[in-house]
Amino acid sequence: MHAYVTASGQFLPGPPIRNDEMADYIGRLSPEADRLGRLTLRKNGIRTRHYAIDRDGTTRWTAARLAAAAIDDVMARAQVDAGQVGFLATATTQNDMLVPGLASAVHAHSGLGPIEIASLQSVCAGSMMAFKLAALQVAAGEHRAALTVGAEFSSRYFRPGHYRGTASLPADGVLAADAEFLRWTLSDGAAAILIEDRPAARGLSLRIDWISLRSFADRFAPCMTGGAVRDDVGGLVPWSHFPTIGDAAQAGAFQLRQDIDALHRMLPVWLGELMRLVDEGRVDPMQVDHFLCHFSARSLRDEMVRLATRAGCMIPEERWFTNLYTKGNVGAASLFLLLDDLLRSGSLRVGQRVLCAVPESGQCVMSFAALTVVEGRA
Amino acid sequence: MSTTATPRVEATHRGLARVWIDFESGLAQVPVIARLQSGRLRLEDYRSLLFNLRQQVVHGGRWISRAASNLDHEELRSLFIRHAAAEHRDYRLLEDNYVAAGGDRAAIRAGVKNIGSEALSAYMYHAASQPNPTGLLGAMFIIEGLGNRLAGPWAQSIASQLGLGADAVSFLSYHGENDADHLAMFDHALELAVIDEASSVSVVRHARVVARLYRLQLEELDNV
Repeated sequence: MHAYVTASGQFLPGPPIRNDEMADYIGRLSPEADRLGRLTLRKNGIRTRHYAIDRDGTTRWTAARLAAAAIDDVMARAQVDAGQVGFLATATTQNDMLVPGLASAVHAHSGLGPIEIASLQSVCAGSMMAFKLAALQVAAGEHRAALTVGAEFSSRYFRPGHYRGTASLPADGVLAADAEFLRWTLSDGAAAILIEDRPAARGLSLRIDWISLRSFADRFAPCMTGGAVRDDVGGLVPWSHFPTIGDAAQAGAFQLRQDIDALHRMLPVWLGELMRLVDEGRVDPMQVDHFLCHFSARSLRDEMVRLATRAGCMIPEERWFTNLYTKGNVGAASLFLLLDDLLRSGSLRVGQRVLCAVPESGQCVMSFAALTVVEGRA
Repeated sequence: MSTTATPRVEATHRGLARVWIDFESGLAQVPVIARLQSGRLRLEDYRSLLFNLRQQVVHGGRWISRAASNLDHEELRSLFIRHAAAEHRDYRLLEDNYVAAGGDRAAIRAGVKNIGSEALSAYMYHAASQPNPTGLLGAMFIIEGLGNRLAGPWAQSIASQLGLGADAVSFLSYHGENDADHLAMFDHALELAVIDEASSVSVVRHARVVARLYRLQLEELDNV
């Protein structure tokens, strides 16, 4: 595949927010909620993150503006003119608006002229869908250069006003655990990469060797959801099926939820994908120099290590590259945030192999990308 | 454990994990499992599931014992014998659950295997009758995996969908609770059994066959 990551950028709004400052931004629901928050933070290991809301809950940002700011950062370091970018793919979990897609709004803010766009909406693996689409567009010769951006603005959904008066938050102030968990897990930001049909003239680029993504929705029910309420026989009722919008809101349809048990049931399937790639000879764990694995919690990482070791597909831990603990879990922006930090880390050498892994809990997706460090000839 | 596992044992773990993934995917397409997983299970579905499982589970201790008698490796033989002892009265729990779910004890005891269970059981006895049938660890992986990974959530879901008490789902919930010990024992047995490529391939192949036949058993509920 003739497609290369030649530049990257990111935008994280505001200062890093410590754990003890989080509630100043996302608000306080109850002492019990704060207790679950501390428990969640111990498990996920995150120490700081960024929020696009101010302490009073107001904001001057949208997911589209965060994405555009990340694109500005990429283009400031790109070795091509904006005019050569012919394609823009965006990934986000919850767009600013229901209609139209995020890519339109990002394009509007980006300063780019008429281009081809694609809006990918999933959860974390939306980033890999956008990455693969842009890589194939470039490799197929459709475009000389393409931009891929992931953006998340989750904190706005976590303010107390989004829960009060709904069935998700009973009078005792104890939010359902599946909703509370995410308040202490997700945060805001955007990151982007530039993909070209040749390596950058100067400096290091990443050649895209292959990208693999598989859905396992054939066996998993939705595990992370937004916009629906569970009925009494285990099904999901979309918000739009309620008689009134008020009824849907009151039933708690608009809360983001994560079935935490299902997350642990998905792990073996995610690992199974790595095993498949090892058996097919596409991944040699010992030949991976940098392993960029998006994981939402340290506890999941520990379990992954155990299963991978048993099956001989453990990539030595000193080669794992993460920024989760300082930059937070930024969903569909995480993959590009990892790539940008890796590219800026100064630790890349020509010929090194990079493996990216992005699991998605939404309804179970697993994705991988294999990249090789190359040097352009100016 | 990981420090002593050979690349061959690790490859076997990968092969088994991948068989499991396909198995679990296929199970979701079986009508009774699809209804279970989507909250549409009927009481007669559950009774039929217990009735049909019992006719095959009653043989569990027997084929494992037969396999044990054909094993030259003493420690593996010992593990198989212990496993057989632990399993060979499990069918009684199934009968108790069947009665608690409104079924008739005499009826379940008088039942015969469905045509899928016939195929599964015949394969187990056939494989167990071979000299040194270590490949059967692949069969155990599938059957134990059902217990470890699916039985617990199924028991909870069945109890809540059908309003049944713990005494009606104890066969499934029991198998959902004893995973850690069984897994450690399985890993140990695999390290003893997988000594070359042929033994590794055999374990994974047995797992593939048993996964398909187990699904057949569930597809053919009450088709005797």
